Parts: sequence; C-alpha cells; structure tokens
Amino acid sequence: MELLALFLAALAVILAIPVPKLLHTASFRGRSPWAAMVLWQAIALAGGLSMVGAPIIYGLAPFGDSLPHALGGAVQLTLTEDYESLGQLDVHPQHIFALCLGLLLGGHLVLTLARTYFRVLGARRRHRQLVDLLSTPLPNTVDDADTQVIEHETPLAYCLPGRTNASSVTVLSRGLLNTLSESELGAVVAHEQTHLRQRHHLLTVTFEAWYRALPWLPTNRYGREAVLELTEMLADDGALAQYSPETLLRSLALSSFETASHRDAPGSALEVDEDVPATSNTLITGARLQRLLAPTEPLGKLAMFGVVSSSAALLAVPTGLLLLS
Amino acid sequence: MASLGELERSVMTLLWESEQPLSANEVCEQLDEDLAVTTVLTVLARLEKKGMVLRARSSRPHRYAAVASREEHTVEMLNEVLGTVPDREAVLARFIGSVSESEAAALRRILG
Repeated sequence: MELLALFLAALAVILAIPVPKLLHTASFRGRSPWAAMVLWQAIALAGGLSMVGAPIIYGLAPFGDSLPHALGGAVQLTLTEDYESLGQLDVHPQHIFALCLGLLLGGHLVLTLARTYFRVLGARRRHRQLVDLLSTPLPNTVDDADTQVIEHETPLAYCLPGRTNASSVTVLSRGLLNTLSESELGAVVAHEQTHLRQRHHLLTVTFEAWYRALPWLPTNRYGREAVLELTEMLADDGALAQYSPETLLRSLALSSFETASHRDAPGSALEVDEDVPATSNTLITGARLQRLLAPTEPLGKLAMFGVVSSSAALLAVPTGLLLLS
Repeated sequence: MASLGELERSVMTLLWESEQPLSANEVCEQLDEDLAVTTVLTVLARLEKKGMVLRARSSRPHRYAAVASREEHTVEMLNEVLGTVPDREAVLARFIGSVSESEAAALRRILG
C-alpha cells in the first residue's frame, strides 16, 4: 500500500509539472490535434485520480493490506469509535492527515466540476434567451442548422451549444456579414458548426473546472490553454473540409470568432470574483496560424498508435492499481 | 398561431419602440395578431421573469416597460462574448515576428 501511494504520488507530480510543460508546446499537436486532445484528457483524468488517490492510499495503509480491506477496516473503526485499536494498528496522525487531505482534495475537485458545469449551463441559458429575443434568423441557410444574426457592427461569430445539436445556435454579427465574402462567411460558419457538432464544450469543461479548483498547478494552466487551442484547430479542420486555408485565414484576420461555449462566458460579467486572466485566452495562436499557412502531414500510424496507447495506459494503470491493490 | 418565443419577440419589439409603458390591453391592441389579453399577460409575465420588462404596480391596470433598450441588451450580450476575446492584434504581431520569409510571402499573398 505504501509503495502504491508512493507510485501514485510520483505519477501525480510527473503529470502535474513536467508533462504538461512539454506537451503544451509539442509540435505534433498541430499535425494531429485529435491525438493531442486524447492525450490531454487522459492526463487530466489520470492526474486527478493519482493526486487524490495517493494521500488516501497512504492514509489507509495501516488499516489493511488491500484497498477494500483497509477501507472496510477504517470505516468500521470510525463507526464503532474504537480509538484504542488505532494505536495497535500503528496509525499515526500523519495517516489521518493524509486521509483528510485526499478526501478534501477529491471533494474540492468534484464540487468545483459540478459548480462550473451548472454555472456555464445557467449563463448559457440566459445568453440564449437574449439571442432569441434580439436576433433574426439568417435567411437562405442551406442546412437546418440554426444561424442567427445580431445587429452589431463588430465583426464576430460565436456558437452557443444547447442540449442537442438541434438546440445549438451559431451567432453572426451584422458587421461580420458586411465584412466577409460569401465563402469567407461559409468558412466561419463551418468552423463554428464543427465546435457544436463535435461538442467541444464537453471536452473543455473539465479543464476549466480543474483550473478553477487549483489555478496554481501548471497542468491546469497549460492544459486549459492547450485544450482550447486544440478545439480551435479541430474546428479549423472542420472548415478546411469545405474551404481553402486561404479563405479561412482571411476570415480569421477580418473577424473575431469565438466560442462562447468554451469558458464561463457567457457569464463572465457575472463572475468578477473568479476572474480569468484575459491574456491566457489566446485563441488565435501562432501554432494555429502556422498550420493554416504551411499545412503539415498528420502523424504517422506508428506515432498515432504510440500516443493513443500511452493515453490508454495513463488511464488504465492508476485505475487498475487502485482496483486490484 | 405564433409560438411563445415569437410572441415574446413581437411584444419586446413593441415595448422597445414605445415611448411610454404600456398596459397589457394596449399591447394586445397594437399587436397585429388576434390575441387574448390573457395570452399577452402570460407573455409579459415570462418576459418579466427573464428580467426583460419591468412592471409598474402603482397604476391599475399594471403598465409594462422594457428594462433596457434593444441596443443596450445587444451590447450587454456581446460583451459577455467579447470579454473573452484576447488581444488579437498582439497575438498576430507576435506571430508575424516569428514567421519565415516564405510564410510572410504566403501571408501577404492571402491577405493582400
């Protein structure tokens, strides 16, 4: 048990500091954004699991040789208030402290995730009400996707995910319609609809929540930025399926497209208390422009296999150890 | 029969364009559609709940007014989105500082 705790702690530290530092600038992310996305999601889950698991396992170690056994023993002792056997079991204050730390950390992460999720939902619902009252549907849209126009001169586009794809909406400003040509506009709409179709807001909400829970941890800061950048690259790829990189680049240069869904905004106005630094929200990044200007080959089969299998291993190893120990 | 959403929009448009607060009866008369006053009252109650209209309770019948103008709501709505847009020019400038000669030529060709 102590060995397992040590291993999990080491894994947590590695996943929290050096790995995200290396990964958030790794050049393969521009070549195969999906592979990088899978890896980041695995890191976030495995990192969280080992960070919470390590102190709990350490704290439970004196209670038994395996996790279920130790857990049962600890619960039993707490229920019967049998404090004398604590001494016999060689339970020291640091074990109790580690247990509390693990439980508090786990609770903090889960509660922040729930809180972030419901706040985003609420902010989105309120924003949607305003869109419904203030916008007019874009005429002659080919498909049945909901595209709305808002009367404002700033050229911008964003998407607002709903419960289903049918209840999601893409919002374009009048300024954007006036600035962009028809094909450029098509590229913007295709970009936004890729965000909606691939449900990118679900891929980013965990990272947003972890960042809110522990903003000082490098993995959370880098992870949040990296995942946002990856969703933009994936949405670009969606647009590139129908439009040329030149068209997309021109529309990028002439407008701000933004996915309101991806962070707490809409709703940032309500949340002065948890201000997210604006500088970290670099959605148009150098790497994103680079891959539009000079497209590169996606990762080879072997490299792809390596990335996916290390993601799977990241998830399987801590979970398996916890279950089998 | 128009949906509730569409009715909300037409009622809001009416209140935005009106100089003074309107009663449910007046809203009902000014709307083109043939509606029952109770329907208009329902719509107004929904809009009040959404924080879009204010009800003046001092007079009978109650009068309704828009909380803010259409433009103010648009700005409020877009600020929620624009607030998160980074300084695009700074990013572009930093990027352009780092591009190679051939990439710069490609950029000029595309944007020029």
